[in-house]
This record gives sequence, C-alpha cells and structure tokens, in this order.
Amino acid sequence: MKSSHGHVLVIGGGGTGAAIIHDLLLQGFSATLVERGELTSGTTGRHHGQLHSGARYAAGDREIARECIQEVEILRRIAPESLEMNYGLFLALTPEDLAFAPDFLDACREATIPVREIPLDQAFRMEPNVNRQARMAVLVPDGTIDAWRLPLQFFATARAGGAAIRTFTEVMEIESAAGSVTGVRVREQATGREYRIAADMVVSAAGAWAGTVAQRAGIHIPVTPAPGTMVAVKKRLNNMVISHLHPAGDGDIIVPQRGLSIVGSTQWLAEDPDSIEVPSAQIEYLVRRASEMIPAFRETPFHAAWAACRPLAGASSNVEDGRKLSRDFIAIDHGRSDNLKGFISVIGGKATVLRAMGEKTVDLVCEHFGVRRECTTAVTPLLPHRAYYNTVPAGRSA
Amino acid sequence: MSNFLADPREPREPAVATAVFRIARSRPGSPDPAWREYEVPLKGHTVVLDALEWIRSRVDNTLLYRHSCHHGSCGTCGMVINGEHALSCTTNVMDLLEKSREAGGPPTVVVEPLPTMNLIADLAVDPAPLFRDFPAGAGYLRESEFNRGSEVPREIERFVRFENCIECGLCVAACPVVRIRDFMAPAALAAYNREIGKNPDRAAELLGEVDSDRGVWGCDRHLECSRVCPTGVYPAKHIVELQRRIKKSREA
Ligand SMILES: Cc1cc2nc3c(=O)[nH]c(=O)nc-3n(C[C@H](O)[C@H](O)[C@H](O)COP(=O)(O)OP(=O)(O)OC[C@H]3O[C@@H](n4cnc5c(N)ncnc54)[C@H](O)[C@@H]3O)c2cc1C
Ligand code: FES
Repeated sequence: MKSSHGHVLVIGGGGTGAAIIHDLLLQGFSATLVERGELTSGTTGRHHGQLHSGARYAAGDREIARECIQEVEILRRIAPESLEMNYGLFLALTPEDLAFAPDFLDACREATIPVREIPLDQAFRMEPNVNRQARMAVLVPDGTIDAWRLPLQFFATARAGGAAIRTFTEVMEIESAAGSVTGVRVREQATGREYRIAADMVVSAAGAWAGTVAQRAGIHIPVTPAPGTMVAVKKRLNNMVISHLHPAGDGDIIVPQRGLSIVGSTQWLAEDPDSIEVPSAQIEYLVRRASEMIPAFRETPFHAAWAACRPLAGASSNVEDGRKLSRDFIAIDHGRSDNLKGFISVIGGKATVLRAMGEKTVDLVCEHFGVRRECTTAVTPLLPHRAYYNTVPAGRSA
Repeated sequence: MSNFLADPREPREPAVATAVFRIARSRPGSPDPAWREYEVPLKGHTVVLDALEWIRSRVDNTLLYRHSCHHGSCGTCGMVINGEHALSCTTNVMDLLEKSREAGGPPTVVVEPLPTMNLIADLAVDPAPLFRDFPAGAGYLRESEFNRGSEVPREIERFVRFENCIECGLCVAACPVVRIRDFMAPAALAAYNREIGKNPDRAAELLGEVDSDRGVWGCDRHLECSRVCPTGVYPAKHIVELQRRIKKSREA
C-alpha cells in the first residue's frame, strides 16, 4: 500500500464527491467524506438519469459533448451494471427541426460522437410508440444511469480501499489557522454531537449547497439553486432515450428506466435548495411535451413528479478567478481568491462526467501537495454497488 | 408554447388541504420513540417524502430520514406509513387521507422507521442487514421485455434494463419470519432465483447456498413480501421456484 500524502476531507456525498474520494484513495491519499444526509440525497439521486452521449450539447458546446462521449465509453467499462446502455434516438418533428438537423449532425461529428441517421421505418420498428409524424431520426450512444447505484459503486470501491464515509454528518464550520485550512467541525445528526476532523485539505463538492458551505469558511460564493422538474409514468414506453431534435429546451427528453418512462426537465430559480416543491402546472406541461414525442405518454398512469437543483454560479471575483476545469465545471481555489489555503470548491458538471470531475479535482489536490499525478480511475473497474453494504472495509480508520 | 425559462421565479401555489403527520422520533440509546406531530399543507400530488422535506426545511431540521431518487427507483425511502410498509416517495398523502376517512379514522399520517434494519435515528435506518445474504457476483441488469419484438440497433445485442428489485427492504421488514428467527429473507432469495434464471450455469453453486433452514426452507408462506413489494418482484414466487429447482435437482 502506498503511504498517504495527506488527509483530504471531502464535503458532499453526491456523484462528484463519490468520484473524488475514489480517485483520492487510488492516488494514495487518506480521505474522509462527510454527507449531511444519506448518500446522493442532494441533486445526484434525483437527476433525470440520462447517460449523455453529448449529442444534446454538441451544437452549443463541442468540448462538453466530447467529454460526455469519452466518459460514456469509460463508464461502460468500469461500471456496466449501473447503466442501461440502449442508445438514444433524436427525432425531428417540425420543419424547423429539419432545418437544424445538419448543424446538429456536424456538431456531433466534430465532437467525435458516433451519430447515424436511420430510416424512419426502421426508427419506428425500434420505437413503436414514437410519434409517426417524425420527419427524421438520428441514433446516438445515449443510455440510462441508475442515479443511486452508479455513485454507490464509487463509494463502495473507495470504502473497500480504506476511505471513511460518514453519512448524516453535516459540516458546520471549516476551520483554519494562519490562512490555512486545519479541518472541519461537524455535527453528527443522530446524536447532535459536534466534533472536529483534522484535515490537510478540504474539498467542497456540495453542489447547489456550495454557497452555504463556503459561508461556513467565511467565504462568499454566489450560487443560485436552479431546480428542474421531472415526471415519470408507470410504463416503459420507449426502449431508448428519446430526444427532440432541436436546440435544447424544456421537456424534450424522455429517459426510460426499469419499467418507467421519465420526461424532463424545466428550469426556474429558487432561494433555498432544501424547500423546493414541484409546481402542478409543470407536471401538466411536461406531460404535454412528452406526448409530442410519444403520444401514449399522456394516457399512461402517472407515477411520480419531483425536482432537482442545479447550482448556477453567479458573478463574483472568486468565481471569475475560478479555474474552468471544463466549460460547465469550475473549481475555485480559495487559497488564491480568498486567502484560505487548502480549501477548494467544485461546482457544476453532470452526472455522466462524474469520473472526469473527480479526476480534474484530484489533479488540483495533487498540485497543492506537490504529488506526482497518476490518475487510474478510467481503467479501474468499480466494485458492485452492493459491496458498499456487504464488504468489510479494509484498513478502515476509526 | 410556454417556457418556464421565460418566468424564472419560484412558482407559488396554494395548499388544497392539510394533514397531521405523527412521526416516531428516536435517538441512539433511547429506543422508545417520542411521538411528534406536525401540520403540513398539501397539494394534490404531495407524497409522504415531500411532507417530510417540508417539515425538515421549514419546521424541524433535526428530523432524519433517507431519500435519494424521489421516484421509486433507489429504494432508500422505505418506512411504515399508517401501518403499511411503503416507499415514502410514491405514497400520495391525499390518497392516505381518503383511505383513513373511508375507514372512519382521523386525517392523520403515522410514520415509523422500517423494523429489522439498524436504526440510525427517527426514520433513518442503515440497511446493511438487507444486503447480508445477497448472492455474490449477481448482476443488476436483465433483458428488457417491454415493446417486445422491437428492432435492436446493430450497436448493441439487446435492450436491457435494471432489475425490478430496488433493494428497498420493505419485503424483509414485513416478513414475519425475519422477526422470529435467522432467515436469509425474501429480497436476497429472490435475487438468487433471478441470478440462476440469468446464469443457469451457476445453478448448482447457488442452490447449494440457499438449500437450508435459514434459506428457502425457512419460508412460512405468509406472502407479506409479495404484498408489500412496490415494484412487482413477488419474492414469494421466487422462493417457491427455488424450492422447486432444489427438489428437481435432487431427483436428477
Ligand atoms: C433537473 C436536473 C436533471 C439532471 N439530469 C441529468 C441527467 O440526466 N444526466 C446527467 O448526467 N446529469 C444530470 N443532471 C446533473 C447532475 O444531476 C449533477 O451534475 C450532479 O448530480 C451533481 O452532483 P454533485 O455531487 O456535484 O452535487 P449533489 O448531488 O447535490 O451533492 C452535494 C451534496 O452535498 C451535501 N451537503 C450540502 N451541504 C453539506 C454540509 N454542510 N455538510 C455535508 N454535506 C453537505 C448535500 O446533502 C448533497 O448530497 C441533472 C441536474 C438537474 C438539476
Ligand atoms: S427515494 Fe428512491 S425509492 Fe423513494
């Protein structure tokens, strides 16, 4: 076993935190992750569940799209059991959609996404329930993620490697001395007991809560929670992910999962990510949008409606200084921007690219410690999700 | 066409009713619950989990429970709700009130943690006991039976989907046998049968692991597991099938 380069404390048990702690352990760090509730009880567990080929983003941003397709290929190797890898169909429904299609196809190809236009009659044989008025169908390597079990595979592997994972434990304060982080004060929710965990570095992966967590280090980051709604019906109407071929909008993706079909999403702005309620009007709206792609959606019994929060980073000097690790994922080194060494916040990204977010974050951690970086997460198969519960952790620190 | 981006403010909408939630609150070391009541405003689509989120974010942030997907897929949010083992994220509160009204009961929703798991506090449990006896190496994917006959893209072999079992533990918590003696329990046994169905070459090995009094012969056929399962796994059916497979293998 490699000797530890230092102890890193990760705040937030979503997909981002999961990928970070797994990478830290492989890199030879000792690490503790604290999550105030159950794992993935923030945004991660509630997302739409689409494994993004990147086709949805290609026209807007080739880089994001290219990263998606690379990560799809990696996840298929390291975590196949948490993915329904059934591909996806983009359907052009209107003349405007058809006019947009050449740009869409070019953008996907530039982003190295293997797209293939298929004859409509073949598309209807693959997806008997889609709107027969469709004018064009494009096949892309989309899929479905189990939003809980994919991160759990990362947690299981990290835990078996010796990571300490403490759920129902909330970070109350990030402590420092002489401008450097020294650890965190946490509250164990079940008992109310507060205690300190010493750390050489603290990484906040708190998503829509990143602003609140930074405040607990006395630092301001403007993060606005931007919730989006999803609606599931009680039947799997589509085999593959079905998307509306147009510049992205609301309610234009139907993700199948187990025996369900799920349409999403919308976006609005909220004050508090903990008190989001699903607006009734959005349920009706999403069902209507879904029915444009799959007419039977409307007649299928309702199963559930829920919302998840994106973190929208606003304008501020530390966000401006923050390193854009990719177009939609930023890391703020508070040592540089707020005179607090050893504290970084990572915000944004997508569930599909969780491993890449972990890699980029741990690159920064290695830079901080002056450790030679050897990222191996892309080639390390993850343990099955159940191993989180039924494997005795090796060399677990108390 | 309406677009919610056009009006990005947080939508507000009035409550259509209220319900009293009576919740079993407990802390480590004091197993007897203290009952606390909360009055919660409801919309037509409010589920029990929404109500718990409302209480936690607006009234009492010490209330603990597990949740993740909010749509019946992760299996973390099982509880005992008005005496029934159920997922809090798919249990509609107006439906519960309607049921109690029909039964002549009060408009109250009583919520308790799942028994037979390790209690953390309040409604939050550690589900480790559930996973103890799952078959090693069992996968989580199966061939999809939906839209049978659909053409499959040449890039993949077949359409797949996740298993029905979301590992919520409702069947284990509801099983009368689990409460009185050591039993591998319905969820794990169902997973054994599924795995044998998918990988017949593992049959001999896996049947050997369940051919015991704490395995398939421990089932007393109460059928509670199949009754409470929220995703149609019917664990009892799988247990009977395992018993049949064992008998057949003995004859052979
Ligand atoms: C509506 C919607 C749909 C989406 N659909 C998709 C999709 O289909 N495909 C896709 O790839 N991506 C999708 N995404 C994006 C994806 O969900 C997110 O990028 C990802 O889940 C973010 O994970 P995270 O770990 O950064 O944040 P989170 O999952 O929110 O994790 C942060 C965690 O920090 C914890 N925390 C907060 N404060 C504290 C504290 N003080 N102490 C301890 N813990 C704390 C929270 O409880 C939370 O669990 C979607 C997002 C939204 C909003
Ligand atoms: S929260 Fe996932 S099953 Fe209820």
